[in-house]
Amino acid sequence: MKLSERLVRWARLKSPWIILFNSGACNACDIEILAALTPRFDVERFGILAKGSPRHADILMVTGPVTRKQAKRLRMIYEQMPDPKYVIAMGACGASGGVFKGLYHVVDGVDKIVPVDVYVAGCPPRPDEIIDAVVRCLELMKKDMERGGKTWRIDEGTEEPRTEAATA
Amino acid sequence: MTQRGLDLERVTQAMGEFGLVEQVRQNRIRVASTRERVRDAIVRAKDRLGCDHVIQIACVDTGKVLELHYHLTGAHRTVVTIRAELPRDDSRIASVHDLLPPAGIYERQMHDLMGIRFEGHPDLRRIILNEDWPESEYPLRKDWKMDPTKFYGGVRKEAT
Repeated sequence: MKLSERLVRWARLKSPWIILFNSGACNACDIEILAALTPRFDVERFGILAKGSPRHADILMVTGPVTRKQAKRLRMIYEQMPDPKYVIAMGACGASGGVFKGLYHVVDGVDKIVPVDVYVAGCPPRPDEIIDAVVRCLELMKKDMERGGKTWRIDEGTEEPRTEAATA
Repeated sequence: MTQRGLDLERVTQAMGEFGLVEQVRQNRIRVASTRERVRDAIVRAKDRLGCDHVIQIACVDTGKVLELHYHLTGAHRTVVTIRAELPRDDSRIASVHDLLPPAGIYERQMHDLMGIRFEGHPDLRRIILNEDWPESEYPLRKDWKMDPTKFYGGVRKEAT
Protein backbone atom coordinates (compact mmCIF):
# COMPACT_ATOMS: atom_id res chain seq x y z
CA MET A 1 0.00 0.00 0.00
CA LYS A 2 1.26 3.42 -0.93
CA LEU A 3 1.94 5.99 1.72
CA SER A 4 -0.69 8.34 0.34
CA GLU A 5 -3.37 5.64 0.56
CA ARG A 6 -2.42 4.87 4.12
CA LEU A 7 -2.59 8.54 4.96
CA VAL A 8 -6.09 8.90 3.47
CA ARG A 9 -7.24 5.82 5.33
CA TRP A 10 -5.90 7.06 8.62
CA ALA A 11 -7.41 10.50 8.12
CA ARG A 12 -10.82 9.11 7.20
CA LEU A 13 -11.04 6.92 10.29
CA LYS A 14 -9.74 9.64 12.56
CA SER A 15 -12.16 12.30 11.47
CA PRO A 16 -15.42 11.29 9.81
CA TRP A 17 -17.51 14.26 8.77
CA ILE A 18 -21.24 13.78 8.99
CA ILE A 19 -24.18 15.48 7.38
CA LEU A 20 -27.58 15.51 9.01
CA PHE A 21 -30.69 15.12 6.93
CA ASN A 22 -34.24 15.29 8.20
CA SER A 23 -36.38 13.25 5.85
CA GLY A 24 -39.63 13.95 7.69
CA ALA A 25 -38.82 13.32 11.35
CA CYS A 26 -40.75 14.71 14.29
CA ASN A 27 -37.59 16.56 15.41
CA ALA A 28 -36.91 14.38 18.45
CA CYS A 29 -34.02 12.57 16.71
CA ASP A 30 -32.60 15.90 15.54
CA ILE A 31 -32.62 17.23 19.09
CA GLU A 32 -30.77 14.12 20.29
CA ILE A 33 -28.17 14.50 17.53
CA LEU A 34 -27.64 18.12 18.50
CA ALA A 35 -27.30 17.02 22.12
CA ALA A 36 -24.64 14.54 21.01
CA LEU A 37 -22.71 17.35 19.33
CA THR A 38 -22.71 19.57 22.43
CA PRO A 39 -19.84 19.47 24.98
CA ARG A 40 -21.68 17.20 27.41
CA PHE A 41 -21.46 14.20 25.10
CA ASP A 42 -18.85 15.72 22.81
CA VAL A 43 -18.53 13.63 19.67
CA GLU A 44 -15.73 15.87 18.50
CA ARG A 45 -13.31 13.76 20.56
CA PHE A 46 -13.80 11.12 17.83
CA GLY A 47 -13.12 13.80 15.23
CA ILE A 48 -16.77 13.88 14.19
CA LEU A 49 -17.82 17.17 12.68
CA ALA A 50 -21.26 18.10 11.41
CA LYS A 51 -20.90 19.68 7.99
CA GLY A 52 -23.33 21.74 5.98
CA SER A 53 -22.66 20.24 2.58
CA PRO A 54 -23.01 16.61 1.46
CA ARG A 55 -19.96 17.10 -0.77
CA HIS A 56 -17.79 17.38 2.34
CA ALA A 57 -19.31 14.48 4.27
CA ASP A 58 -18.43 10.81 4.76
CA ILE A 59 -21.48 9.75 6.77
CA LEU A 60 -25.09 10.66 6.05
CA MET A 61 -27.33 10.65 9.12
CA VAL A 62 -30.98 10.38 8.19
CA THR A 63 -33.65 11.03 10.80
CA GLY A 64 -37.24 10.01 10.45
CA PRO A 65 -39.44 8.20 7.96
CA VAL A 66 -38.99 9.26 4.35
CA THR A 67 -41.90 11.30 3.07
CA ARG A 68 -42.77 11.29 -0.61
CA LYS A 69 -41.66 14.89 -0.85
CA GLN A 70 -38.27 14.23 0.70
CA ALA A 71 -37.52 10.94 -1.07
CA LYS A 72 -36.11 12.56 -4.20
CA ARG A 73 -34.13 15.10 -2.18
CA LEU A 74 -32.64 12.36 0.00
CA ARG A 75 -31.60 10.46 -3.10
CA MET A 76 -29.98 13.60 -4.54
CA ILE A 77 -28.09 14.34 -1.32
CA TYR A 78 -26.84 10.75 -1.22
CA GLU A 79 -25.65 10.94 -4.81
CA GLN A 80 -23.73 14.14 -4.14
CA MET A 81 -21.58 12.53 -1.44
CA PRO A 82 -18.08 11.38 -2.43
CA ASP A 83 -17.21 7.68 -2.17
CA PRO A 84 -16.83 5.88 0.18
CA LYS A 85 -20.13 6.95 1.71
CA TYR A 86 -22.01 5.53 4.68
CA VAL A 87 -25.57 5.98 5.85
CA ILE A 88 -26.89 5.82 9.42
CA ALA A 89 -30.67 5.54 9.81
CA MET A 90 -31.89 7.01 13.07
CA GLY A 91 -34.60 5.61 15.29
CA ALA A 92 -37.61 3.40 14.72
CA CYS A 93 -38.87 5.62 11.90
CA GLY A 94 -35.60 5.46 10.01
CA ALA A 95 -35.56 1.67 10.24
CA SER A 96 -39.12 0.88 9.19
CA GLY A 97 -41.32 3.97 9.23
CA GLY A 98 -42.19 3.54 12.91
CA VAL A 99 -45.58 4.92 13.85
CA PHE A 100 -45.86 6.47 10.39
CA LYS A 101 -45.49 3.16 8.55
CA GLY A 102 -48.02 2.72 5.76
CA LEU A 103 -49.36 6.27 5.77
CA TYR A 104 -50.31 7.82 2.47
CA HIS A 105 -47.50 10.31 2.44
CA VAL A 106 -44.50 8.23 3.55
CA VAL A 107 -42.47 5.55 1.78
CA ASP A 108 -41.48 3.99 5.15
CA GLY A 109 -37.84 3.32 6.03
CA VAL A 110 -34.71 5.00 4.77
CA ASP A 111 -33.54 1.75 3.14
CA LYS A 112 -36.31 2.07 0.56
CA ILE A 113 -34.46 5.03 -0.93
CA VAL A 114 -30.74 4.70 -0.10
CA PRO A 115 -28.67 1.72 1.13
CA VAL A 116 -28.28 1.88 4.93
CA ASP A 117 -25.16 0.69 6.76
CA VAL A 118 -26.05 1.21 10.42
CA TYR A 119 -29.44 1.31 12.10
CA VAL A 120 -29.88 2.94 15.51
CA ALA A 121 -32.75 1.68 17.66
CA GLY A 122 -34.82 3.94 19.87
CA CYS A 123 -37.50 6.55 19.67
CA PRO A 124 -35.53 8.78 19.86
CA PRO A 125 -32.12 7.16 20.41
CA ARG A 126 -30.09 8.61 23.27
CA PRO A 127 -26.94 10.57 22.41
CA ASP A 128 -24.85 7.68 23.81
CA GLU A 129 -26.48 5.36 21.29
CA ILE A 130 -25.80 7.80 18.48
CA ILE A 131 -22.12 7.93 19.46
CA ASP A 132 -22.10 4.13 19.59
CA ALA A 133 -23.62 4.01 16.10
CA VAL A 134 -21.00 6.34 14.66
CA VAL A 135 -18.20 4.36 16.28
CA ARG A 136 -19.66 1.15 14.86
CA CYS A 137 -19.85 2.83 11.49
CA LEU A 138 -16.15 3.63 11.80
CA GLU A 139 -15.42 -0.04 12.58
CA LEU A 140 -17.43 -1.01 9.53
CA MET A 141 -15.44 1.49 7.46
CA LYS A 142 -12.21 -0.04 8.69
CA LYS A 143 -13.34 -3.56 7.79
CA ASP A 144 -14.49 -2.37 4.39
CA MET A 145 -11.12 -0.74 3.74
CA GLU A 146 -9.28 -3.92 4.66
CA ARG A 147 -11.47 -6.01 2.35
CA GLY A 148 -11.67 -3.50 -0.45
CA GLY A 149 -15.26 -2.30 -0.51
CA LYS A 150 -18.72 -3.19 0.72
CA THR A 151 -19.14 -6.32 -1.39
CA TRP A 152 -17.88 -8.72 1.32
CA ARG A 153 -20.97 -7.91 3.38
CA ILE A 154 -23.37 -9.18 0.72
CA ASP A 155 -25.06 -12.36 1.89
CA GLU A 156 -25.81 -15.10 -0.55
CA GLY A 157 -29.27 -14.67 -1.97
CA THR A 158 -29.65 -11.01 -1.05
CA GLU A 159 -28.32 -8.16 -3.08
CA GLU A 160 -28.05 -5.53 -0.40
CA PRO A 161 -24.90 -5.39 1.74
CA ARG A 162 -25.39 -6.72 5.26
CA THR A 163 -25.90 -3.97 7.80
CA GLU A 164 -25.04 -3.34 11.39
CA ALA A 165 -27.67 -2.84 14.08
CA ALA A 166 -26.43 -0.62 16.85
CA THR A 167 -28.09 -1.37 20.17
CA ALA A 168 -26.74 -0.11 23.42
CA MET B 1 -59.92 48.21 26.53
CA THR B 2 -62.04 45.14 26.73
CA GLN B 3 -65.18 44.71 24.73
CA ARG B 4 -68.12 42.63 25.86
CA GLY B 5 -68.63 39.35 24.03
CA LEU B 6 -71.45 38.79 21.60
CA ASP B 7 -74.63 37.18 22.84
CA LEU B 8 -77.00 34.91 20.96
CA GLU B 9 -79.59 37.66 20.56
CA ARG B 10 -77.25 40.03 18.79
CA VAL B 11 -75.92 37.37 16.46
CA THR B 12 -79.45 36.20 15.65
CA GLN B 13 -80.43 39.74 14.79
CA ALA B 14 -77.54 40.14 12.39
CA MET B 15 -77.23 36.65 10.96
CA GLY B 16 -80.71 35.17 11.39
CA GLU B 17 -81.58 35.38 7.71
CA PHE B 18 -78.68 33.08 6.75
CA GLY B 19 -79.93 30.10 8.73
CA LEU B 20 -80.35 28.63 12.19
CA VAL B 21 -78.29 30.40 14.86
CA GLU B 22 -77.45 28.42 17.98
CA GLN B 23 -75.18 28.77 20.95
CA VAL B 24 -72.94 25.70 20.90
CA ARG B 25 -71.35 26.59 24.22
CA GLN B 26 -70.33 29.69 26.03
CA ASN B 27 -68.62 32.20 23.74
CA ARG B 28 -69.19 30.04 20.66
CA ILE B 29 -72.11 30.66 18.31
CA ARG B 30 -72.84 28.69 15.15
CA VAL B 31 -74.73 29.79 12.07
CA ALA B 32 -75.90 27.01 9.75
CA SER B 33 -75.63 28.68 6.37
CA THR B 34 -75.61 27.28 2.85
CA ARG B 35 -72.83 27.31 0.33
CA GLU B 36 -74.43 29.96 -1.88
CA ARG B 37 -74.73 32.38 1.02
CA VAL B 38 -71.42 31.88 2.83
CA ARG B 39 -69.82 34.92 1.21
CA ASP B 40 -72.77 37.15 2.13
CA ALA B 41 -72.76 35.76 5.66
CA ILE B 42 -69.07 36.54 6.08
CA VAL B 43 -69.54 40.09 4.76
CA ARG B 44 -72.40 40.56 7.22
CA ALA B 45 -70.39 39.15 10.12
CA LYS B 46 -67.56 41.53 9.27
CA ASP B 47 -69.79 44.58 8.98
CA ARG B 48 -72.32 44.05 11.75
CA LEU B 49 -70.49 41.88 14.30
CA GLY B 50 -66.91 43.06 13.86
CA CYS B 51 -65.70 39.55 12.97
CA ASP B 52 -62.63 40.55 10.99
CA HIS B 53 -60.33 37.71 12.01
CA VAL B 54 -60.44 34.16 10.66
CA ILE B 55 -59.16 31.68 13.24
CA GLN B 56 -59.41 28.64 11.05
CA ILE B 57 -61.47 27.06 8.32
CA ALA B 58 -62.24 23.46 9.14
CA CYS B 59 -63.42 20.84 6.71
CA VAL B 60 -65.17 17.72 8.00
CA ASP B 61 -66.01 14.65 5.97
CA THR B 62 -69.07 13.21 7.68
CA GLY B 63 -69.33 10.33 5.23
CA LYS B 64 -72.37 11.84 3.52
CA VAL B 65 -71.42 15.47 2.96
CA LEU B 66 -68.40 17.71 3.33
CA GLU B 67 -68.89 20.38 5.98
CA LEU B 68 -67.01 23.66 5.99
CA HIS B 69 -66.72 25.61 9.24
CA TYR B 70 -65.47 29.17 9.02
CA HIS B 71 -64.42 30.14 12.54
CA LEU B 72 -64.41 33.93 12.79
CA THR B 73 -63.71 36.22 15.69
CA GLY B 74 -62.83 39.83 16.43
CA ALA B 75 -62.04 42.20 19.28
CA HIS B 76 -65.07 40.86 21.20
CA ARG B 77 -63.40 37.40 21.42
CA THR B 78 -66.59 35.48 20.65
CA VAL B 79 -66.16 32.76 18.04
CA VAL B 80 -68.83 32.90 15.36
CA THR B 81 -68.82 29.76 13.22
CA ILE B 82 -70.44 29.85 9.79
CA ARG B 83 -71.22 26.39 8.52
CA ALA B 84 -71.87 25.22 4.97
CA GLU B 85 -72.48 21.76 3.56
CA LEU B 86 -71.18 20.60 0.21
CA PRO B 87 -72.20 17.45 -1.67
CA ARG B 88 -69.30 15.04 -2.10
CA ASP B 89 -69.57 14.74 -5.89
CA ASP B 90 -69.85 18.49 -6.55
CA SER B 91 -67.66 20.15 -3.94
CA ARG B 92 -67.42 23.70 -5.26
CA ILE B 93 -67.71 26.87 -3.19
CA ALA B 94 -66.86 30.53 -3.68
CA SER B 95 -63.46 31.58 -2.34
CA VAL B 96 -63.31 34.18 0.43
CA HIS B 97 -59.64 35.05 0.04
CA ASP B 98 -60.53 38.64 -0.94
CA LEU B 99 -62.64 39.19 2.18
CA LEU B 100 -60.26 37.46 4.59
CA PRO B 101 -56.75 37.23 3.09
CA PRO B 102 -55.48 34.46 5.44
CA ALA B 103 -58.31 32.23 4.23
CA GLY B 104 -56.45 31.73 0.96
CA ILE B 105 -53.89 29.42 2.47
CA TYR B 106 -56.54 27.30 4.25
CA GLU B 107 -58.34 27.01 0.94
CA ARG B 108 -55.23 25.74 -0.78
CA GLN B 109 -54.82 23.11 1.93
CA MET B 110 -58.43 21.95 1.69
CA HIS B 111 -58.19 21.82 -2.07
CA ASP B 112 -55.08 19.68 -1.72
CA LEU B 113 -56.29 17.19 0.89
CA MET B 114 -60.10 17.17 0.60
CA GLY B 115 -60.64 18.11 -3.04
CA ILE B 116 -62.79 21.18 -2.58
CA ARG B 117 -62.69 23.64 -5.49
CA PHE B 118 -62.65 27.24 -4.31
CA GLU B 119 -63.92 29.25 -7.24
CA GLY B 120 -62.19 32.59 -7.66
CA HIS B 121 -59.05 31.58 -5.77
CA PRO B 122 -56.09 32.97 -7.76
CA ASP B 123 -53.57 30.25 -7.01
CA LEU B 124 -54.83 26.77 -6.06
CA ARG B 125 -51.45 25.07 -6.15
CA ARG B 126 -50.50 22.08 -4.00
CA ILE B 127 -49.32 23.08 -0.56
CA ILE B 128 -48.88 19.87 1.45
CA LEU B 129 -48.74 16.92 -0.93
CA ASN B 130 -45.74 16.26 -3.16
CA GLU B 131 -45.61 17.72 -6.66
CA ASP B 132 -45.97 14.36 -8.40
CA TRP B 133 -49.02 13.22 -6.41
CA PRO B 134 -51.69 12.04 -8.89
CA GLU B 135 -54.58 14.32 -9.75
CA SER B 136 -58.03 13.87 -8.18
CA GLU B 137 -56.81 11.75 -5.27
CA TYR B 138 -57.79 13.30 -1.96
CA PRO B 139 -56.25 11.40 0.96
CA LEU B 140 -58.29 12.93 3.80
CA ARG B 141 -61.64 11.91 2.36
CA LYS B 142 -63.17 9.07 4.33
CA ASP B 143 -63.75 6.86 1.28
CA TRP B 144 -60.23 7.28 -0.11
CA LYS B 145 -58.06 4.19 -0.43
CA MET B 146 -54.60 3.92 -1.83
CA ASP B 147 -54.56 2.26 -5.24
CA PRO B 148 -51.59 -0.16 -5.19
CA THR B 149 -51.24 0.02 -8.99
CA LYS B 150 -50.74 3.79 -8.96
CA PHE B 151 -47.54 5.73 -8.37
CA TYR B 152 -47.97 8.32 -5.64
CA GLY B 153 -44.61 10.04 -5.88
CA GLY B 154 -41.25 9.61 -4.25
CA VAL B 155 -38.55 7.57 -5.95
CA ARG B 156 -39.57 4.88 -8.42
CA LYS B 157 -38.48 1.33 -7.61
CA GLU B 158 -36.36 0.98 -10.74
CA ALA B 159 -34.34 4.08 -9.80
CA THR B 160 -33.10 2.79 -6.42
